[in-house]
Amino acid sequence: MQNNKSAKTWAVLLVSPFVICFILFWLIPVLFGIWMSFHNWNLNSGNNGFIGLQNYIEILTPGTLYNDYFISSLKNTLIFVLVSVIPLVIIALILALIIDNLPIKFKPLFRTIYFISYSISVTAVSSIFLWLFNNNGGFINNVLKSIGIIKEPINWLGEQPYAWISILVATVWWTIGFNMILFINALDEVDSSLYEAADIDGAGFMAKFRYITLPSIKNVSLFIVIMTIIASFNLYGQTKLITAGGPEQSTTTLTMNIQNVVQNMNQLGIGSAMAILMGIIMFFITVAQFFLTNNKKSLKEGSGK
Amino acid sequence: MKRRKTKNIVLVIVALLIAFLFLLPLIWMLFTSFKTLSESMSSSTILPKEWTFENYTSIFASTSDTPIIRWILNTGIVTIIGTLLVVFVDVLAAYALARLRVPGKKVILAFVVGALTIPGIVSLFPAFYIFKSFNLLDTFIPLTVTYSAGSMGVFLIYNFLLDFPKDLEEAAYIDGASQWTILRHVILPSIRPVMATLAVITFMAIYNDYLWPSIVVNSNEMKTLTLGIATLVQGSNFVNPARMMASTVIATIPAIIVFLICNKYFVKSATNTGIK
Repeated sequence: MQNNKSAKTWAVLLVSPFVICFILFWLIPVLFGIWMSFHNWNLNSGNNGFIGLQNYIEILTPGTLYNDYFISSLKNTLIFVLVSVIPLVIIALILALIIDNLPIKFKPLFRTIYFISYSISVTAVSSIFLWLFNNNGGFINNVLKSIGIIKEPINWLGEQPYAWISILVATVWWTIGFNMILFINALDEVDSSLYEAADIDGAGFMAKFRYITLPSIKNVSLFIVIMTIIASFNLYGQTKLITAGGPEQSTTTLTMNIQNVVQNMNQLGIGSAMAILMGIIMFFITVAQFFLTNNKKSLKEGSGK
Repeated sequence: MKRRKTKNIVLVIVALLIAFLFLLPLIWMLFTSFKTLSESMSSSTILPKEWTFENYTSIFASTSDTPIIRWILNTGIVTIIGTLLVVFVDVLAAYALARLRVPGKKVILAFVVGALTIPGIVSLFPAFYIFKSFNLLDTFIPLTVTYSAGSMGVFLIYNFLLDFPKDLEEAAYIDGASQWTILRHVILPSIRPVMATLAVITFMAIYNDYLWPSIVVNSNEMKTLTLGIATLVQGSNFVNPARMMASTVIATIPAIIVFLICNKYFVKSATNTGIK
């Protein structure tokens, strides 16, 4: 359709604002970050020379200060990924199933209510949950005391596992609606003739869920699991503001650690290397997850019939 | 039939209980903002015994500690300019990539998709350092322009246009319409829903962003509402849950209003970013 020169000029003209922004604010920073990770780069004094892989070696050699930071924050982040992904996916699925089975006139109302907390910023969420869980004058301790469940206040934010529980509750409340919406959309697309056929055969709810719903939403579920792992891996605001990384650094996450290395210790080179390592780990989680689920799928199909 | 009705009633009751749990933190935030300091620390009821507006008046009064009007203005400037910029560059690029012969189209598309798989942390601190080197920290520049590098919007609109029939554009082209006329009078009206979706999710993402503003802003005067709340949460002089909740109410209400008005675009955005 377009074969003249002006069409090409138009194409270049229209695409270039985005390409320029993308190069300036994404591509250059990413490449610059890789470059800095091979240098002894200080936030204030700048480039202090090329050191090859020294930053990476230091981060990955057991016993060094940065190895300690990196490994302990990686461990904390992985703990949160492990404890958060299952509730974030399962509860979202349960909510979606409830909404899917509600009488149609109630659906939009409850969908909106369950989704509303997603619209709030992480700082507002943290502000609310900090004072719900606060050890000193927090609402939850006040309520538990007044109905006689506890005598002494629970140290929600200063003791484990309570600190993780508080972070988890805040995160579930804040983000569950997004996963729920994805599940609702997936449930909407399940072929309804399958359910009708199952009804004729007299199948119960569990049988229908097991043999029709679950297989139909498998792909979306995989996508949601990966998205949730990545989101949990990026945990930052809640632990920064609700527990401030404590108690005893046990909720200091990778992102918090990188920010500390860059902005408080001024080690831009080390920080860049840590960020790249974090990016590589997240990339491999995505890839591994993809292959694992694909294998399962082919196994199931092989033994299914 | 009767069994089905009982099932529905039980489901609605369960749904109501869960709805209450979801709304409880918000209701608690709202009512706590009207409590006195001593009551907010000791209270085990949602409703205040003694109502006070002191928390709100003190926030607006102490302009050095909590310049909340300035924060609201900053947030307005940052979200509106940021959103307009993102929608502008993304729509033009997506149209060109989906319909025109862009040189290097495959490379650009590979970068658009590839960038989506790389976590933000990789570009975050280098970008901060670049802005610092140009003495642009604590200005509106990093707070607004950086979001335009995101490729999610290009991806979203590009996919929409691929599924969208070309007939109208071809007819307009045969009638001798210019590229600009086609873009303005044929493309823009037909992609309005997906543009609105992009605008709403971008607006909310910028409004709620915490990590990036916290890196590139130092002074109290340049903070957004979202960042301001974080400062208050961390501030040692702000050990007052009632006043804390009052400022959180102020910061939260615009987001909730936009969410409720644009609810359908949110639901759509979740669908569009998900797998089909």
